[in-house]
Amino acid sequence: MTNMQDQLSRNSFSRAGRQTVVLSLIILLGLSGVVGLSRWMEAHRPPVDPNLEEEQLYVTGATARRLSLSFSGLVADWYWMRSLQYVGRKIVKVEDNESLQDRKIELTENEFFNLKMLPSLLDATTTLDPQFMVAYEYGAVMLPLIKKDDAAIALLKKGMAANPASWKLAHHLGYIYWQRGDYQAASETYGAGAKLPDAPPWLAALSARMLAQGGSRQMAREMYGRIYEQSDDKQVKEMAVRHIMQVDSDDERDTIRRILSDYSARNAGRCASSWKDVYAGLRAAHLNLDAATRAPLDPSETPYLLVKDGCDVDLDLRSLVPRK
Amino acid sequence: MSEDVLIASAGLTEGTMKNDSLPRQLARIGTIARNAFREAVRDRVLYNLVLFVLLLTTGAIFLGELSASQETKIIVDLGLSAMLVFGAFIAIFVGVGLVYKEIERRTVYAIFAKPVGRGEFLIGKYLGLCLTLFVNVAVMGAGVSLALLYVRGGWDPLILSIWPAILLIYVELMVLTAVALLFSSFSSPALSALLAFFTFIIGHFSSDLKTFAASTGTQSAKWFFGALFYLLPNFSNYSFITPAAHGQTPTASAICAALLYAFVYVTILLSAATLIFNRRNFK
Repeated sequence: MTNMQDQLSRNSFSRAGRQTVVLSLIILLGLSGVVGLSRWMEAHRPPVDPNLEEEQLYVTGATARRLSLSFSGLVADWYWMRSLQYVGRKIVKVEDNESLQDRKIELTENEFFNLKMLPSLLDATTTLDPQFMVAYEYGAVMLPLIKKDDAAIALLKKGMAANPASWKLAHHLGYIYWQRGDYQAASETYGAGAKLPDAPPWLAALSARMLAQGGSRQMAREMYGRIYEQSDDKQVKEMAVRHIMQVDSDDERDTIRRILSDYSARNAGRCASSWKDVYAGLRAAHLNLDAATRAPLDPSETPYLLVKDGCDVDLDLRSLVPRK
Repeated sequence: MSEDVLIASAGLTEGTMKNDSLPRQLARIGTIARNAFREAVRDRVLYNLVLFVLLLTTGAIFLGELSASQETKIIVDLGLSAMLVFGAFIAIFVGVGLVYKEIERRTVYAIFAKPVGRGEFLIGKYLGLCLTLFVNVAVMGAGVSLALLYVRGGWDPLILSIWPAILLIYVELMVLTAVALLFSSFSSPALSALLAFFTFIIGHFSSDLKTFAASTGTQSAKWFFGALFYLLPNFSNYSFITPAAHGQTPTASAICAALLYAFVYVTILLSAATLIFNRRNFK
């Protein structure tokens, strides 16, 4: 009797064991199948229509704020990260484009980036969380780059209405006016910002000098320097550094052009055949020179190019210095 | 240990109801509350904390990369929002089952055979769930503070300044628990949960109701929406998550007013629940 019970018990255990193995195998095989199928579908998915990809937001910031109950801050974070991902995805797409690998594409080149959804994404972010300063700052820097100055001004004005004590927003709005060449408006905005609590003294100084020196490179250097100092955003800081490099490069190219022109004048109109011909002049001007080729280096340490048969200088296509 | 055994062990005997003193009533309420808390712990309600910790840990590690150095703001938004969502789910789903389970298991007969008033029973159950929510919210608040310590690599003023907002979340959950308890005193758990959920949603739209009342054309509609605005709980009084993420704290008067509003509202809801529950026939 006991033997029979043992036998029955062993049989039921072995049956349960077999069942466990079979079910585990089904789960494992099923999961592998799902992974394989997902990969196949991913690879064979028809390309997304770019017009659909760029479709405007269905929900405005105001509606999203109303629907978000107590979670407007969290939804604002989501829109903020979506804005960053949107720009990041476009940059990666351009970087992955093999036909453009030999040159540095600027965000200003709308034909490559086309960031048309960025204004509405930033607008939604700041409507959901009107104190989201980084979003205003990002918009102030990025939107003028993609020729959306009006959207940037609207965003900053909205921010100033929601945060009337923030001098930083006045600083950013003044920067946009300055970039547009509207020195009168820039000066007035800086003047208004200087009157706000905790505003640094340089804001009043900028306001005063804006009308007289608005278009000068020194003013540009100071503007970007202040943006670099004030910003906590890595991308904004990088943009400021690149613009300072651009201003420095403009100065350097003016110096190099003068040296090339002097050389040409001394040699009966013949331009330099290589950098070695003007080495002494470049060295005397304290330019940063490449030890091997003696070519002057731009602020991103890329050699300048001799163009127009040695009569002019230009940036290399690989240079990190912005062209415009 | 069942509730009737606990009540008996608290020294409650037949006849005590007749010469009831306040301390005795409080002792009975305390016993029911402790038992409701133990029951919630036994039902693994606090397991949601594990999910919360996972959410915060993942957020703290990955958000820095995704948010361009806005991780502290996002940790606070995410942490406090999760606190409110998890708390609201507990308040609604556990709250609607508090009374129903006792009726379903018929343990309510044993309890009411003892000298326990129906009002005491409801208040005890309510306080038990509030204690569960308090533990939940306190642990979550500590978790958010620790996550902030981690992402900032040291002390940050936000670690302290988020606590008034956490207090307001807790008070909101206390009101929501009372709402769930009121509905569960006369309705099925599913319907009670649905009604409590709608109240939670409408409570956050209160300011819209007021705007709607002001903008609508007819006088009767004005009265109707105006009445809804004043009668339904206004949860926007407790919405301080977004400003808290910017280091702002509510004023002392705003906190006091919110606490007083909650006290009055909870008193009304528990009184109504007791009124309905007293008339219920368990036969």
